[in-house]
Amino acid sequence: MALSGLDIYKLLPKTNCKECGFATCLAFAMAMAQKKVPLDKCPTVSAEAKLALESASQPPIKLVTIGTGDTKLEMGNETVMFRHEQKFFHPTGIGILVEDTLGDAELRSRMEKIGKLVFERVGLTIRPELVCIKNSSRSKDKFVNSVKIVASLTSLNLALFTGDQAAVDEALTVIAPRRPLVIWSGEGNIEAFIDIAKKHKTPLAITSNDLDEAAKLTDLAKKAGVEEIVLNFKDRSQSERIQDITYARRSALKKGFRDLGYPAMAFTDETDPGLELCEAVSYVSKYAGLVIIKNCEKEFLFPLLVTRQDIYTDPQKPVQVTPKIYEIGKVNSSSPVIVTTNFSITYFTVAGEVEESKVPTFIICCDAEGMSVLTAWAADKFSAERITDTLKRSGIEQMVTHRKIIIPGYVSVLSGKLEEVSGWKVLVGPREASGIPGFLRGWK
Amino acid sequence: MAEFSVTFKPAGIKVIVPQGTDLLTAAFKGGIPLNAVCGGEGLCGKCRVVVTKGKVSGEASSLINDEDRAKGVVLACESIVESDLEILIPQESAGNFEVSGKRRADAEEFLSVGPLEKESALKRDPLVTKIFLEIKKPSDDDGLTDLERVDRELKKRSDPVFITTAISNAKHLGAVLRESGYKVTAVIGHKESSSEIILFEPGDTTDLNYGFAFDIGTTTVTGQLIDLNSGRIIGTRIAYNRQSSYGSDVISRIIYGSDAAGLLKLCESVLSNINEMVEDLATSNSIPLSSIYSAVIAGNMTMMHLLLKSDPSDIRKEPYMPAITAFPPMSAGKAGIKINPKGMISFLPGVSSYVGGDTVAGVLSCGLFDGDELSLLVDIGTNGEIVLGNREWMISCSASAGPSFEGSGLQFGMKAVKGAVQKVVIAENLDLKYETISGDKPKGICGSGYIDLLEQMFRRSLMEKNGKINRSKKTDRIRKTSEGCEYIVAFKDETSIGRDITIDENDIENLKRSKGAIYSAILALLNKMDKRMAEVNRVYIAGGFGNYLDIENAISIGLLPDVPRKIYKFIGNSALAGARMCLASREAFSKALKISQGITYLDLSSEPGYMDEYIAALFFPHTDIGRFPSVR
Repeated sequence: MALSGLDIYKLLPKTNCKECGFATCLAFAMAMAQKKVPLDKCPTVSAEAKLALESASQPPIKLVTIGTGDTKLEMGNETVMFRHEQKFFHPTGIGILVEDTLGDAELRSRMEKIGKLVFERVGLTIRPELVCIKNSSRSKDKFVNSVKIVASLTSLNLALFTGDQAAVDEALTVIAPRRPLVIWSGEGNIEAFIDIAKKHKTPLAITSNDLDEAAKLTDLAKKAGVEEIVLNFKDRSQSERIQDITYARRSALKKGFRDLGYPAMAFTDETDPGLELCEAVSYVSKYAGLVIIKNCEKEFLFPLLVTRQDIYTDPQKPVQVTPKIYEIGKVNSSSPVIVTTNFSITYFTVAGEVEESKVPTFIICCDAEGMSVLTAWAADKFSAERITDTLKRSGIEQMVTHRKIIIPGYVSVLSGKLEEVSGWKVLVGPREASGIPGFLRGWK
Repeated sequence: MAEFSVTFKPAGIKVIVPQGTDLLTAAFKGGIPLNAVCGGEGLCGKCRVVVTKGKVSGEASSLINDEDRAKGVVLACESIVESDLEILIPQESAGNFEVSGKRRADAEEFLSVGPLEKESALKRDPLVTKIFLEIKKPSDDDGLTDLERVDRELKKRSDPVFITTAISNAKHLGAVLRESGYKVTAVIGHKESSSEIILFEPGDTTDLNYGFAFDIGTTTVTGQLIDLNSGRIIGTRIAYNRQSSYGSDVISRIIYGSDAAGLLKLCESVLSNINEMVEDLATSNSIPLSSIYSAVIAGNMTMMHLLLKSDPSDIRKEPYMPAITAFPPMSAGKAGIKINPKGMISFLPGVSSYVGGDTVAGVLSCGLFDGDELSLLVDIGTNGEIVLGNREWMISCSASAGPSFEGSGLQFGMKAVKGAVQKVVIAENLDLKYETISGDKPKGICGSGYIDLLEQMFRRSLMEKNGKINRSKKTDRIRKTSEGCEYIVAFKDETSIGRDITIDENDIENLKRSKGAIYSAILALLNKMDKRMAEVNRVYIAGGFGNYLDIENAISIGLLPDVPRKIYKFIGNSALAGARMCLASREAFSKALKISQGITYLDLSSEPGYMDEYIAALFFPHTDIGRFPSVR
């Protein structure tokens, strides 16, 4: 059971000694309940309390890492059922299935396609993170050969899906340093797979028929020394699979049930590309840490990646636009210059009204850490100094011949200081964006 | 350059200014600071004045409609003096100041809630005490210095605490002793861990020992004079914080105070509030200023920084850390407070940037910190501070509720002083009855009056759930305005201001936001600690409501949670009560220090659920009516 801040507090020394950097023991306890600080920051906690708190300070869902370096894929460590309660930490990994029954040429062309699945959206790069090689041929040699080819063609993370212990062992002698995910298909000997995962230090996904079996097998693997485990549920309907994954998450988060405290993964069943996309989106929405799909066409991957990006946005962090100059319409050297913050809603509202005005205009977004105008002003993130700095760095001085800048009406108090610091003449614009068209039409 | 005279009516104050001066500046020169929330930028439209004679120039403001313009209404900040002028200042533009220009009327009598339970139980042991000493004259066989003789005598008379004195006092000691025939009174100021003789007075003056308790709020300042020998409250005064001319919220003040000149102005403004109260209460009770030796001040962190001229800038910047939360005591002379200059000014320690000594004082006064049961303290002010906890733990947060419950920022809002409507009842046939403080003719409406008014309007369907006035109701009290609708509380012939006293939809919107902010902060704190309202055994409600607040109505409008009424207790201005307790008891003061270190601060702005709670609370009583089962 995850302990609340108050539960933890009751076990702490309650001295408010401040050694941990928090003003009170309660503040420390609440940060600990949110997994923001480890227990060992408290220098005076008793051994008894330590024991009681140790399990509480462990994440309810184990962190599993596939791959190494910057491109590694992390799953687990989640703390909430619903995003609005706090946030989701790790976006669902998207993997593309490659079967070892493909001929050499087919395999190479599929890998080439996969390599091209890279998109830009709201300033971020989105792409699948993993290629999963499936031992459909049931031949060891074909599997090992395919793994070698795939590994040589991609820097994406890898997953090996098979029930053949000898095949995976041999493949791992080549690619173990890339820390692939070993997916035991449910056939053959689990103990052997546990040993292999241990030997090659890779994470292990365990396929099971239901939650009971999953709990048994993870316990087995954990006792044998495999820490990083992923749950996979086989041959069930989509709804049952989602139910299993959801139950696993809930029992880990709400009841502190350790044997299911691992991230889950899912393979899609659907063969129709549209339906497969819907199925994959369902797993992204409901708690899969990794989804493996068969389709690798751009038009199906893009919506899946976009959905994932939207779901795994941190709701506590405002969405920002890049702080720079935006040109609306056919601007020239005498076009008006509006300054606002880089909170995306603020920017898009202002940009919409500027378009509405039909007056070509420069909008400069000042880096206000994604805050809206008044909030940023109150927190000193939209100050005369910051705006001046943005003006200087944006290069607007070379783009317009006038030196007049329009600021939002709500921060009219900035005008004096801003004129002084920037040397630009400050015009106070309307308070609400809806006043912009009228204001700009009066621009001379 | 030409100079012109400008006469401000009704006060009749005349100033001479050069041509080209704006009217706002001219009014300031005459000692009539007009309302100018935007700082004279022509944006807020609050500095409306009427030109009755003469000529001004300037662009016509869009904030004034044609009808008013024809009557000569202009914005003072945008109007330039072009001839000799006569200007009429309407009361609303003079804002916090009497249009008569007399500042003395600023601080008004305040009926406060009497001593609290906790207070009556305190042992009286003030922060400043006096001991009368008869010192043996020096002689050949008694060769101690003056100070050593005092010391010897003191040791016999008081607890064995180490008492020091400043060199300036020691220097005068000889003269005082000889002048008084070796009979002196030592005035001793007690700090947390030491005591100091702050003054020697000739003769026995122990029967004179007075102190001041202050609550410095963002919107209002309250001061109370106490006879420390008897514990009696001599009088209480309340005034709007003069800093309001430089912005109505703490953020504007912090920004204004970020440079030395602004800081000085803000400090002087609030000092003038304090010193007026000191002089007023001392003079009207014939108490010499020199016999007031102590003051204890409770205030939020921004107010403390501004009062002590320390740079407040970091309070508004991430990670929102003030330089200091526990200010050491200082002499009155140094602080600029006009009690005995040697007197000792002590400050209630605070918790964080947004939970200050006023909240600590509140916790002290209601006893939340030493109860076994779970209690909640809700201080309804410009920043609504909430504290939840018990003997074991305490957590607090601050919600920016705005000043509306203190009667500021509303058309006819006022402090809880004489002439304020504080109770309202609307009958089923829509007849309205009100009661004012002291029974005077109504001048405006105070916080508790607004709470009653909203509840009654809602009950009689004069106001809808979203705060709009119900235009379909047949009553001559509802009428349309240029900005929507308003409801008349008192017709002009009943009032003392010669105008109708009304509440409009903007006022309701402001009140709705204030109540939503307070309610959602309470919920956020409970949620954070996994507690439900049903587990709370006591709720203390504090705020500048005078001595009356209808809890039932406050619940009905959704300001307070719907739980059994008997757990609620209205305690009035708890910050002032806490300051008063510290003044009269060293024990209380050291408890306050402990409290300040034991409260955990929760920053609502980084709490994911707070905004949702707030939005949900912007309804009467709430979007989720299930939370208010006892409200029909």
